[in-house]
Amino acid sequence: MKTLPSRRGAMTAGVAAALSLALAACGGGSGVSGGDATGPAAVPSKSAAVQDALSKPAELTFWTWVTGIEKTVARFEAKYPNIKVNVVNAGQSADQYTKLQTAIKAGSGAPDVAQIEYFALPQFALSKQVVNLSEYGADALKDKFAASAWNQVVINGGVYGIPQDTGPMAMFYRKDIFDRLKLEPPKTWAEFAEAAKKIKADNPDNFITSIDPGDAGGVDSLIWQAGGQPFKTSGESNVSVTLDSDPGVKQWVTNFGTLLKDKLVEPQPGWTDEWWKGMGSGKYATWLTGAWAPGAIMNSIPKTKGKWAVAPMPQYDAATPMNAENGGSSVAVIPQSKNIPAAVAFAEWLNSDPEAVKSLNEEAGLFPATKVLLDDPAFRDVPWEFFGGQKINQVLGDASAAVRPGWQYLPFQVYANSIFKDTVGQAIDGGGDLTAALKSWQDRITAFGAEQGFTLSNS
Amino acid sequence: MTAPAARGGLARPFLRLRLAGYAFFLPFFVVFLVVVVAPLAYAIYLSFFQTRMIGGTVFAGLANYTRVIGDALFGAGLLRVALFLAVQVPIMLLIALGCALAIDSGRLRWPSLFRISIFMPYAVPAVVAALMWGYMYGDQFGLVGQLSDALGVTAPDLLSRSWMLTSIGNMVTWEYVGYNMIILYAALRAVPEELYEAAEMDGAGAIRIAWSIKLPALRPALLVATIFSIIGSFQLFNEPNILQTLAPAVITTSYTPNMYAYNLAFNGQQINYSAAVAVVLGLVTVVVAYVVQIITARRENAL
Repeated sequence: MKTLPSRRGAMTAGVAAALSLALAACGGGSGVSGGDATGPAAVPSKSAAVQDALSKPAELTFWTWVTGIEKTVARFEAKYPNIKVNVVNAGQSADQYTKLQTAIKAGSGAPDVAQIEYFALPQFALSKQVVNLSEYGADALKDKFAASAWNQVVINGGVYGIPQDTGPMAMFYRKDIFDRLKLEPPKTWAEFAEAAKKIKADNPDNFITSIDPGDAGGVDSLIWQAGGQPFKTSGESNVSVTLDSDPGVKQWVTNFGTLLKDKLVEPQPGWTDEWWKGMGSGKYATWLTGAWAPGAIMNSIPKTKGKWAVAPMPQYDAATPMNAENGGSSVAVIPQSKNIPAAVAFAEWLNSDPEAVKSLNEEAGLFPATKVLLDDPAFRDVPWEFFGGQKINQVLGDASAAVRPGWQYLPFQVYANSIFKDTVGQAIDGGGDLTAALKSWQDRITAFGAEQGFTLSNS
Repeated sequence: MTAPAARGGLARPFLRLRLAGYAFFLPFFVVFLVVVVAPLAYAIYLSFFQTRMIGGTVFAGLANYTRVIGDALFGAGLLRVALFLAVQVPIMLLIALGCALAIDSGRLRWPSLFRISIFMPYAVPAVVAALMWGYMYGDQFGLVGQLSDALGVTAPDLLSRSWMLTSIGNMVTWEYVGYNMIILYAALRAVPEELYEAAEMDGAGAIRIAWSIKLPALRPALLVATIFSIIGSFQLFNEPNILQTLAPAVITTSYTPNMYAYNLAFNGQQINYSAAVAVVLGLVTVVVAYVVQIITARRENAL
């Protein structure tokens, strides 16, 4: 699976000082749903412990691969000088998960707090490798976060991470190319295909976009955006995989199958030198991806300044717009921690305090997960010079609000994504039959799940 | 492995000698036990169990092994590295042999410069080498793409399905020719000067000397180089693993048996099955290396 800077996360705003009070106040009453180990009665004391932890000396280790997050952490340390936080980059995505799982199994060496992408969180939650934060009163934070972010950290009624960033999808497009060819940004996938043909007619070497045969996360998101829900988990061990029958998957297959067959979209591994050069040269006129993309574009192809703009995702049905998330991370607490209350307090502050959330957005380039920032006019109305002065956060904020709820990842999505390129990736790259490839992906996922002790169904 | 045993009565000096022998041998033996035998034994132990996300660990007997034997993904990977072995290793060893003979002939102008430049790629870490070649192989913006553009021809996509194994073979050859050359050159240096003098007196030319003296002298070194290359081929991992970001759909998670074992263990949490794959791969490597050794030895006896 790809580990893209993409999956960086967003931000969270919260109310720092008031937070602990709020926790103490709400802990007893509000929806403490998932506390399986401890009864509800234990919750107030645990959330009180979280509040107390901020004033006691502690040392925490935090694994994250977000560049620039040290600045936000430094703000935390300045505010709560008793707590020292060591920021460690233990690798990106799957690399980090491997190390994390090894350390958890070994019984020592794991951090107190770790960045975990939404797609990987169910796996950690189900194997109890992360703390159920409901027991520490985290449910009280629910209203601070965009629904699309919060939904992704709630698993089986428990809260297993604090949302850090989100990646609502949008269409980043080369305005210079669209203007030159007198094209409007497509509102529907039908218009998208029309625009693609015109781009192709203008120069046969160019494409409207590329699709990465190794990036399962990208295709998951496109299926999500097409209304699909091919992965479902209920209870602790019932898993259903319907890649061969889900209507949303079929919608995506019809759409992208045609785009690929007509060579309007190029299969090309993303984030490689070749790909960035193609992005810089105008070989690809759009990039359909998460809202974290502006930072990546500005860092990797600074020479394209002023040539980009953002529009909402093309729709299958313009009357009922739907959007999806692509990437994004949460921050979870590891049970091995010797000071879980302090770890929880840190994770909550980092992702929900207004100061922290602003810093994550401005200093680490993460797209927010918190309402306080998403709705903040100061955030929404900033003109982006790189994007020709467009107020892109308005488009991206609306994209966040349009995310279709209900999507679920498998409790072993990390593995499922890793074998995507063995199956669906083959068909994308070699012009094969997407339906058959999705079926073989489903078969391998099903076989793996059954082997791991889950009860699998394909309906 | 042990010091020569004392024969007859154990005189004190003998005993002391034996103790000294063990003392010299002990540090190595401890390290050997800890870093070679113990992990191997642990891997074999693991391969008899099955750990599941739901349901915990159960004893699986030989189930993991029967599964490896019937595993089409493992089989395809094994065939792929076998093909790689059959084509790449002879080419690489022939080039190394040519280089070693060229240096040893004494007819090169700057033999040490030649030697160092051939050997240099071996000093480049495989990861760096793979990144570098990956960049050069790019068919649009890479070196190959730019060269073919400049020449007005269409270069093949070296990272495509049909070219990938060749591209990896080229990288591995580039990396290891120097290493093998050094092994062979060292063996050539060990040939006594008198043999050459005698041959010259008998009127043998350079080619005749190479054929009748140098090549026979090289046979043991060539065998060593071949065995190393066989092991290296079966263990192929770094190069494909790095190129996979550039060609994810070509290099699957089971492209080579080693990659398969790695992905099973680290992406799939199937440590036990992965251990079984590794053990079977190790056995296959031992068998192939042993067969090559026997064939060579037999041929040597026949000569």
